[in-house]
Amino acid sequence: MNTANQARVSDIMICAIARMLQDGETVFHGVSSQMPMVAMMLARHLHAPNLVHLNIPGGVNPSSIKKASYSSAGADLLASAEAYFPLEQVFDLSMRGGLDVAFLGGVQFDARGNVNASVIGDYHKPKVRLPGGAGSAVLIPTAKKAIIWRTKHDRRTFVEKVDFVTTRGNVWRIVTPLCVFAMKDGALMLESIHPTSSLEEVVQNTGFEVKYDDIRFTPMPTARELSVLKQIDPFDYRSSEF
Amino acid sequence: MNRKLMSLQEASALVRDGATVALGGNVLHRAPMAMVRELVRQKKRRLRLVKTAGAHDIDLLCAAGCVQSVDAGFVSYETEFGLAMHYRKAVERGEVQGHEHACYTVICALRAAASGAPFMPVAGLKTGDLIEANDYFQVIANPFGDEPVTVVRAIVPDVAVLHVQECDEDGNAIVAGPKFEDVLMSRAAKKVILTTEKIVPKSKMRMRPDNVDIPHFLVQAVVPVPRGAAPCSCEKSYEADFKMLEQFVKMKTADEIEQYVQAYESKDRSGTRAGGNW
Repeated sequence: MNTANQARVSDIMICAIARMLQDGETVFHGVSSQMPMVAMMLARHLHAPNLVHLNIPGGVNPSSIKKASYSSAGADLLASAEAYFPLEQVFDLSMRGGLDVAFLGGVQFDARGNVNASVIGDYHKPKVRLPGGAGSAVLIPTAKKAIIWRTKHDRRTFVEKVDFVTTRGNVWRIVTPLCVFAMKDGALMLESIHPTSSLEEVVQNTGFEVKYDDIRFTPMPTARELSVLKQIDPFDYRSSEF
Repeated sequence: MNRKLMSLQEASALVRDGATVALGGNVLHRAPMAMVRELVRQKKRRLRLVKTAGAHDIDLLCAAGCVQSVDAGFVSYETEFGLAMHYRKAVERGEVQGHEHACYTVICALRAAASGAPFMPVAGLKTGDLIEANDYFQVIANPFGDEPVTVVRAIVPDVAVLHVQECDEDGNAIVAGPKFEDVLMSRAAKKVILTTEKIVPKSKMRMRPDNVDIPHFLVQAVVPVPRGAAPCSCEKSYEADFKMLEQFVKMKTADEIEQYVQAYESKDRSGTRAGGNW
């Protein structure tokens, strides 16, 4: 496929994330979330025109994300939106079971789906104070599906045991620059390997035993997807974490 | 006659050492930076900061040694400008207590305060180490059912410091664009300090009372400060000042921080010197 040569890891990740989203779902992203923001926009332009894009500033379905350069929590997402539905109401929605998908980050993950976004070392005397889990501790347990993305995949990120459990369980997918993990029966399983990576690379860079049913590869972005990405994200915010 | 309209220096006197201070805005947007800088100039100490997601405001106050604790879900400059290193180092050195929340638990703690309740249930907080590590979370029996429920202790800010686009001299204020937690903070706090891009005539507010987000009777101080959120953004008025933020995140020494804050002093205090509106 000629498009394959042009696709970068960020494009592969974005398209993989976009395809996880279904038409009509309510989907939330928070701060520092350019990648899910672009993926949500891509899904809305392709297979999920009725997806509901929710965010911190409260802009329901912003028509443009082109101004969200340094922040995914700015007023621009409200200025081009259909309605105002601010953060506290998004949380309430999730608490009562009405949020389909939440996008969240984290710094350490283990094979049982424990997420650490808080500290390295002791909580009260941390070796490293991380930014914090933002909404993770209430959204991961309550959203129907929690998708985590992380642009680092190494043995310090995917560890045998996290230093601190900011939250746990109900992680649906984890998307990395090398692969996609899925939670099955309480354990992370390798779902697919990006065509730009390999099983060996995933295993070498993962601090726990990589388990899988069979070897699958993440589909490459299509020409259509890449063309829409150029249109909705001309300044390449989707690569800002790389 | 009008005792609410005052200078930045006068308003900062409402913030005592050791006060619990709720900061308006969210990450790099509409943070009350002019008042934050004044708190640094006035050498406030042992402040207990409250915000769902903070960035430059919390980082600067930590850099200047003003802070005892931070109750927040997230403290970082987002992707472009990186980590809040002064906050991070201050917590790692043990100078500042990092009280991590789940953003929503800050909202619930403020809702408790706003409604006069001692605590608030948080339906979604069911698992994880945050519950055990922090005494402001407790798991209690549900008096109406079987499943236990996690509650968060009320956070009653002594003062909420909020930056708005428009306010009249009595303190009726309109927040343009995202309101973030500002309106809730104005209800939860014992006192409210407003800094405002501009003072508008009372008659203008009377024409659209349904648009007023914060009514005057909740407000103790009104300070006109054009560009009072800079270098953070302020919807309808200005974008974030990337150059200043880039410079700041590289600063390490106390001297650099002091110079940074001093460089803003004249501008920060200009709104009440000009003499125009007040």
